[in-house]
Amino acid sequence: MKEVHTSGARGPRRKLAILTTGLALASLFGAVGTAAPAGASSLRPAVAKKLVIAYNMGAEADPFFIAMNIGAQAEANKLGVTLIWQGDPSFYSPSTQIPIVDELLAEHPSGLIISPTDPNALQPVVNQAIAEGIPVSNVDTHVTDLSKVLTFITGNNTQGGAVAADAMAKAMHYTAGKTYQVVVGASSATSTTNTSRLAGFKAEIAKKYAGIKIMAEAYSESQPAVANTNVNNWLTKYPNLKGIFAIDGTNAAGAAAAIQARGLVGKVALVGYDAYANNVALLQKGIFAALIAQQPALEGQLELKYMAQYLRTHSTKGIPHLLTLPNIVLTPSTPAAIVTKYTYPTA
Amino acid sequence: MVTGTADVGEVPFAQKLGTWARSVVSNQQFMLLVALAALVTYFTARAPVFLSSGEIANILADFCSIILLAVGETFVIASGGIDLSVGSAASLAGVIGALAMRGLVNSHQNEALVLFVGTVVCAGLGLCIGLVNAALINWARLVPFVATLAMLGGAGGLSIVLTNGQPIGLDPRAISYTVAKLGPFSYPAFMVIALVVVAWLLLHFTRYGRYTFAIGSDAFAARAAGINVRRHVTSVYALSGLLAGLTGMFIYMRLGSGAPTAGQGDELQAIAAVVIGGASLMGGVGRLSGTVLGALIINVVTSGLIITNVQANWDQVAVALLIAVAATMQALRPARRR
Repeated sequence: MKEVHTSGARGPRRKLAILTTGLALASLFGAVGTAAPAGASSLRPAVAKKLVIAYNMGAEADPFFIAMNIGAQAEANKLGVTLIWQGDPSFYSPSTQIPIVDELLAEHPSGLIISPTDPNALQPVVNQAIAEGIPVSNVDTHVTDLSKVLTFITGNNTQGGAVAADAMAKAMHYTAGKTYQVVVGASSATSTTNTSRLAGFKAEIAKKYAGIKIMAEAYSESQPAVANTNVNNWLTKYPNLKGIFAIDGTNAAGAAAAIQARGLVGKVALVGYDAYANNVALLQKGIFAALIAQQPALEGQLELKYMAQYLRTHSTKGIPHLLTLPNIVLTPSTPAAIVTKYTYPTA
Repeated sequence: MVTGTADVGEVPFAQKLGTWARSVVSNQQFMLLVALAALVTYFTARAPVFLSSGEIANILADFCSIILLAVGETFVIASGGIDLSVGSAASLAGVIGALAMRGLVNSHQNEALVLFVGTVVCAGLGLCIGLVNAALINWARLVPFVATLAMLGGAGGLSIVLTNGQPIGLDPRAISYTVAKLGPFSYPAFMVIALVVVAWLLLHFTRYGRYTFAIGSDAFAARAAGINVRRHVTSVYALSGLLAGLTGMFIYMRLGSGAPTAGQGDELQAIAAVVIGGASLMGGVGRLSGTVLGALIINVVTSGLIITNVQANWDQVAVALLIAVAATMQALRPARRR
């Protein structure tokens, strides 16, 4: 919901705007006057105003964020809060994200929930929001300095990367003493989810699987065709490739097409991230050896809940500063009911 | 400079050599071939697998994903316009085509029928997008940059709205068609190459092509010479849209699904290929063979950097350098050849 800016209005429109504003103010004070308990020491119009929570995600088109939107919107409806859901349609990049956050701040929302596409690049706008008295939460990814952020809810990406390594080793029938070449397809070199997953993956390999060698890493900038090109080239360069860790949904889609085209299903262990409906269908066909699912709808729901709670009580009591939800491993043999539960909702 | 008293047997030879050298260096096609050969040699020296049939097939698959966009763009740029909507048009066409094909795939229809229907839907949608662009330019009087920029946002946004961001369809049989069958060539690659040859003949050996360049050089003079400029411009944008639609179908076959973000942003690759190929953004100049070489060079750089394990972001830097060099060469070319 956008505020009405009347400063530039002229003539009849201006009169109408003044009249509307006057009526709005009158009704507001009237409402507060009648609703406020007797003896209330101060009138706080903000309490009576409907909360407006701005939510800025990495890329609106990403099914992960679409699922998050579904969770957040359901919670907003339940709590009677207005949710402004705004982000770049498809580019996961700070250069497209920052102007959108500026735009959102200009609307003076009650609170801001944001998934920074870069931890440093988004720090100044987060600082600015906090300086303007707008509380800020982070979701999925975070800014460098979390000290003034209300809450940060994310999937446990490090644990997700680690279980991805375990799932891959299992699918490759890992035997100590043998060498296994694997590659990693990521979307961005700076996104904290990507880096955490990769760190978890590498740490688990270093700890348990000395025979697994990561030969290359590349970025797809959220473009499935680019991810497909990367994997095609790797399959040519490393004819003995044994595993691919596709670190997010778009990489999973591009990698799945590449191994199908070359008839390598079952020969190259493809471990993907994100339970998009399409990826789940590919998992059930055995094209993915494993799929790591996050819980985006739950993340969106909890973000809304905690932000609304803080805005209404002005207390952080009961609000965790950091909450990590575990990532779930789905394999072709996972029971259908569990797979359905963790498939990202689309509507 | 030949003087009246110069020895006719000696000086003209040196002069000829100089003229020849100058014309070779200023021949963009030749220089592009040299650049392509140099890049292939360099990458092969660093990773011999670069010259394998498998890798050539990879480059060809990438090439086919942008060459039709670049061919359409060559016609548009030669006619003095620009089409920023081709990437989004490919995306929307791929998504709508995938929606149309989904039912057929699920009911296990013959794959050839599925792909035929998809191709017709994608091409038809692309054509419609091109016609809307032309209407905005011809009748709403928008400059091509603005008209097609609006379409870029509109088509791109619509493909996301229609799909909720999810890839549409699951068609592994379509992927199997994109596998190289004859050397590095897949069947769709043959079709794409055939289309490029037809477009080349159309641009350089027919009246249609001559009209395109004439309008790009001077639309007013072209109109005075009796060319129906409005109709011709309409057909050029329609052609660009049609080829973008077919690109959407090609990407669908590669991924086995219609992804809403696939193709978006590819208009810049297409324009880069055209500019590297020697076309002038002022219109009236362009060679389709240059566009083909430009697109090949871009794809060779992309694959070469992956094969040699160079950080992916260098790809953009390399393409930017190529554009700068190509544009400089064009600026330095003698005026009569521009």
